[in-house]
Amino acid sequence: MQRAEFESQLNELKDAAERSLTGVSGLEDLQSWEREYIGSKGSLTLMFRALGGLDSADRPEAGRLLNQVKQSLTATFENRETELKAGATAARLVSEAVDVTLPGRQPQTGNAHPVSLMIDELSEIFALMGFQTVFGPEVETGRYNFDLLNIPSDHPARDVWDTIIMDTLSEEIVLRTHTSPMQARVMEESKPPVRVIVPGRVYRYEAQDASHEWMFHQLEGLAVDSNIRMSDLKGVLQELARQLFGPTRRIRFRCDFFPFVEPGVDFAVDCAICNGKGCRVCKQSGWLEMGGAGMVHPRVLAGVGIDPEVYTGFAFGLGIERLLMMRYGISDIRAFAGNDLRFLSEFAALTV
Amino acid sequence: MNVPLKWLNDFVDPDVSVKDLAHRLTMAGLEVEKIEEIGNDWDHVYVGKVLGVSPHPDADRLVLADVEAGKHHLTVVTGAPNIAAGQTVALALAGANLIDGHSDSGQKKVLKPTKMRGVMSEGMVCSEKELGLSDEHEGIMVLDDNAPIGLPLQEYLGDSVLEFEITPNLAHNFSMHGVAREVSALYDIPITVPTGADLATLPAGNQNLVVIENTDLCPRYAATVCEGIEVGPSPAWLARRLQNAGVRPINNVVDVTNYVMLETGQPLHAFDRDMLEGGRIVVRTARAGEMIETLDHIERKLDPDRLVIADASKPVGLAGVMGGVSSEVTDTTTEVLLEGANFNMKSVRHTSRALKLRTDASARYERGVDPNLVAEGMARAIALLLLICPNARVTAFADVYPEPLQPTTLTMRTSRFEQVLGISIPMTEIIDVLGRLGFDAETNADSSQLNVTVPTWRKDVSIPDDIVEEVARVVGYDTLPSTLPWGQTAPVKRDPVYQLRRHVRDAAAAAGGFEAVTYVTDSETDVDAFRGRERGSAGLIVDVPVERMLRIINPMQSGRNLLRVSLIPSLLEPLGANLKHTSAARLFECARLYVPNGPDELPAEVEAIGFVIAGERESLSVYGRGGELDFFDIKGMIEHVLQRAGIPDLTFEPAIDPALHPGRTASVSSGGTKLGILGELLPDVASAFGIDDVRVAVAEISLTAVLASLPSGRRDVPVQRYLPVRQDFAIIVDEATPAGDVERTLLDAGRPLASSADLFDIFRGEQIGEGKKSLAYRVTFIAPDRTLTDDDLVKFRKRIEKNLKQQVGGALRV
Repeated sequence: MQRAEFESQLNELKDAAERSLTGVSGLEDLQSWEREYIGSKGSLTLMFRALGGLDSADRPEAGRLLNQVKQSLTATFENRETELKAGATAARLVSEAVDVTLPGRQPQTGNAHPVSLMIDELSEIFALMGFQTVFGPEVETGRYNFDLLNIPSDHPARDVWDTIIMDTLSEEIVLRTHTSPMQARVMEESKPPVRVIVPGRVYRYEAQDASHEWMFHQLEGLAVDSNIRMSDLKGVLQELARQLFGPTRRIRFRCDFFPFVEPGVDFAVDCAICNGKGCRVCKQSGWLEMGGAGMVHPRVLAGVGIDPEVYTGFAFGLGIERLLMMRYGISDIRAFAGNDLRFLSEFAALTV
Repeated sequence: MNVPLKWLNDFVDPDVSVKDLAHRLTMAGLEVEKIEEIGNDWDHVYVGKVLGVSPHPDADRLVLADVEAGKHHLTVVTGAPNIAAGQTVALALAGANLIDGHSDSGQKKVLKPTKMRGVMSEGMVCSEKELGLSDEHEGIMVLDDNAPIGLPLQEYLGDSVLEFEITPNLAHNFSMHGVAREVSALYDIPITVPTGADLATLPAGNQNLVVIENTDLCPRYAATVCEGIEVGPSPAWLARRLQNAGVRPINNVVDVTNYVMLETGQPLHAFDRDMLEGGRIVVRTARAGEMIETLDHIERKLDPDRLVIADASKPVGLAGVMGGVSSEVTDTTTEVLLEGANFNMKSVRHTSRALKLRTDASARYERGVDPNLVAEGMARAIALLLLICPNARVTAFADVYPEPLQPTTLTMRTSRFEQVLGISIPMTEIIDVLGRLGFDAETNADSSQLNVTVPTWRKDVSIPDDIVEEVARVVGYDTLPSTLPWGQTAPVKRDPVYQLRRHVRDAAAAAGGFEAVTYVTDSETDVDAFRGRERGSAGLIVDVPVERMLRIINPMQSGRNLLRVSLIPSLLEPLGANLKHTSAARLFECARLYVPNGPDELPAEVEAIGFVIAGERESLSVYGRGGELDFFDIKGMIEHVLQRAGIPDLTFEPAIDPALHPGRTASVSSGGTKLGILGELLPDVASAFGIDDVRVAVAEISLTAVLASLPSGRRDVPVQRYLPVRQDFAIIVDEATPAGDVERTLLDAGRPLASSADLFDIFRGEQIGEGKKSLAYRVTFIAPDRTLTDDDLVKFRKRIEKNLKQQVGGALRV
């Protein structure tokens, strides 16, 4: 074959290929085009074989031309391929449009009980102040529930109508009426310094109404050391109130009687809703009662072998449900053991 | 206890508002629960005088009363049977808004001039009921003669009544005098105590007037004999005060005893002396078989250890609790024997408890009354009795008090105040405050110690810290700063059970469960419904027959007297309740099971988590696949929770339980330790708990066992760098071969590189033969040090094929 003939064939092929490519509208057509022209058996590839039939002097120039055409066609093909792919993706995205207001696929999840969440929160708050969370038995002996707490057997608190009593042969065994028995148990186990909180269920022989439950949760606190003062009790409770109800809350002590503390007080927090001015929630008093507290009675310390002349301690107790009622404006304590999902599911959200 | 302010003002006058007074007392430990205002709704009501009464011209039962009240002078038509000229009365004018005396509901009505049988009645003479003072509506209320005519009634009779809650330690405040002493100390103002008779001048009686056989139970007994008594109604002022204090007036003698008890705190009792055999008193314990009819007209049998007041032959009163009918003061009584005594608080308490009889007297004795108070009470009672019965005279007085109680002395370090409170109070202030409260205090020479004389009425004060509290509550807790404990802290450990509980709780919630809190008691009926009547174990995961369950003597909910050994029955109740308003419920609870030890020992408290689920698997949605929650849902939850807890190898095996579906129940264990049980509830059992027509799946896991099964020590966590290789195996086994066995065989044969085997298809059909099933697993292999090749897998494939054949009779399907 003569060089002129080769060149004219090449030009024809180039023109034909370019014309053909302009007519390609889909990726499948493009692949056929690739096979026809620049694939391993394509017509352009076949032209390389024809190079051998040319005069050796003409071969370099013809080869150069052929490569030029191949590069040009390949570049055009690749551009077209990019173009067509982009178009196809765009078309797919358009076709996949959804109604974004349709509901999301819901995972089936639940959440912890508000009482558990409050106990966890209190445990964290007190851990920051160096208090360890411990738990004690719910079925207790009269010795721990009463005797070691300076509640002798003729004390009114031991009246049968306050305490749920177990049927035993001779030993006095009760459902604990408070978390306080753990005071004695903890102090028997470990010598001062002691700093613990004790959350847990407690039981009273008490008729149920909107503010009374026969089973509820308490949190006991106890700190014993050689330098614990009542002002420390106030500081710790103020810190608690601030963590729970806001950074400007104040604590008020009122003289009260609990056999296992002396002096004994009940403590209240100024109402966060009216800032202590008096409103419906705090019954116009400006204060919300949180629990009972005081300095550990010397007889309680002595009863567990701690010298009350050297060591002093404070103790406090508060009702978990009551705290939750204060925080969430819940008016009926019976909701907590009611276990209605409409109530329980309200506590999934974080409260800060 | 109710304290009318006017009565309190006889002792102290702090000149502050009632609100301020109530607040101050409350903060100091005497809690005022309520303030009742008497008379603040008595507008247009005045003290009036009945000038004359004339017959109604046209009605036999009505009269015309001519009543004057200062500038008001009017005619009132009334049917009151007791109205008479010269009386001082409460006169209501038009516009007064008073209780309708004829209604039972306490409804109020505005008074208007009304024509009654032709005569205009311009006002009304009031009964006690109309003024809201009592239910008395038989006649009009007659005031004391010296009542100032024309004064608004509110100024004359109105009062503020403070209602106190008295804590057990504050027995000494259980009287007007006691509260007044507090007020005097808190406001630092003087106190005036009303005068009584001089006991020293009274004639001594017969030697045997009073005999105490048991001085342990009765440390003191004083008796006054009074002749010339005329029993009748009390003067209006006295009756009024009793009523304001919440005590119903009865007759002048009884009213005096009650009045003095309220005023001084000393309970008193009056006997009709003519009814006392021998006219004398013996304080002794009851004799076998003795009976007494008490003033509430109940015939009571007396236990031999019961302390009684007797005459020469028989019991005439329950000491410190209630008198007897036989010697009750009546209209015909002319001679009384007045008792002022002190009884042992425990003895009174036992009598009161045993007979279920609480009285104002027993309430005081139970809290402990100062024996020295007898003198004050008796002196005051005699004075009042002689004032009210002008013809009466004391003929005999005896006071048996063998061991007079002396004040005690308490010595304490002066530094104790600061050690306990954290503030420094000047010693002069401490001594002053204590003095106001009736304590004598003085420091020693170097001021290191304080010696405090404790008055006999303060039985509650026995240790130095009691003195600290006395000072603190008067100085005020507001003066305490807020500090934080300092110094060494205790080493803080985290409680492993609490950590585990929080962890499984969060996992259970993430798996769809809502945490519940249920009561810890079951009834025997619940246990029977749950476990059947074969009387096997009442628990699912602990073995306790119902007879051995811990029993409550006084359960709160009737019949529910057993401490639970399974959480499931109490969870079924809220499950059923929730299914009434939702399509599905998944509940769980972390709580304790009470496993009995010996009869007098505390039970073991096993930490457990229980699950109950029922209803639709997914909430209604456009994506839903639906279906009913069943065994595999509860199994998935348990797998999730236990894997999250960190239990490595879970084994589920078929199990049998009387409450659960025989073909859908499994035990779950790890390393040979049983952790719990799961299954679907038998339809009959669910039905017994009120849940019908829905599958209920339940599970109970012992967290105590889980904690013991957790691997201890270091856990290595590999970081995988190489790609896993996955290969599918279809294995043909007998229908009866459990999939779990096949999976275990696969994984064992694939050790150490096979990391998981996921079952993705179960096929049954002609191709594999009858009674066979083909289980398709995708097994993932991964090596820590290289990417695996096909050659690696060929080796495993051979071993897997061999082991399947040997261990589960399985064949690889090609």
